[in-house]
Amino acid sequence: MRYLICIGITLIIIIALLIGANELPPFGNPENPEHNELSRGYIENAMSDTGAKNIVSAIILDYRALDTFIEATVLFTGVIVVMTVLKK
Amino acid sequence: MNDTILKQVVKIIAPCIQLFGIYVILYGHISPGGGFAGGTIIAASFILQHITFGKAYADSLLNEGRALKLISISLIAYGVLKAYSFFGDYFDLPHTPTGIPGNIFSGGFILPLNILIGIIVTSTIYILYSLFSNE
Repeated sequence: MRYLICIGITLIIIIALLIGANELPPFGNPENPEHNELSRGYIENAMSDTGAKNIVSAIILDYRALDTFIEATVLFTGVIVVMTVLKK
Repeated sequence: MNDTILKQVVKIIAPCIQLFGIYVILYGHISPGGGFAGGTIIAASFILQHITFGKAYADSLLNEGRALKLISISLIAYGVLKAYSFFGDYFDLPHTPTGIPGNIFSGGFILPLNILIGIIVTSTIYILYSLFSNE
């Protein structure tokens, strides 16, 4: 029974991810959302918005700070999992 | 390891590595670098001391319990600071000053967040090394 539930959940996740991948825009199309005005806006406004000269720092710690927070949480989870597996 | 040359060289070189890592973290918003790179450099110096002087000496600097406490406190502080800057816009709380670009004390929350990320990365990499080293 447990195996059947596991297999069912895995199949649902696989199908959902494949549906998502099917809807991706084609590669190299100039109308893709990756070619919008966002990247130019970052380059032009990063210093006046955040006061940092390094655009990479301005993006990862100001515009996309929540992403870096989850990244640090992933490191923390990794340490916890290693300690659990090694039983220290 | 009981090598006199190695011990003397590490005694000289480890503070220099740590100083360079602190510089990379503190200047993360001015020049290339930041918390992830600087934290890795500082953790490399701790791993070097762990290899050279043994586990007992390295544990007196940074052991696993202390490193876990540092990671937890830094994550909570990161969340609180970033929640302030996200909700502060909505509730009209006072803004953090951006300062003059190029000074160390500029860029709002970027400098404290870089320091917190540096602490998290240093502790994580050192914990992973000291867990997997079998002494």
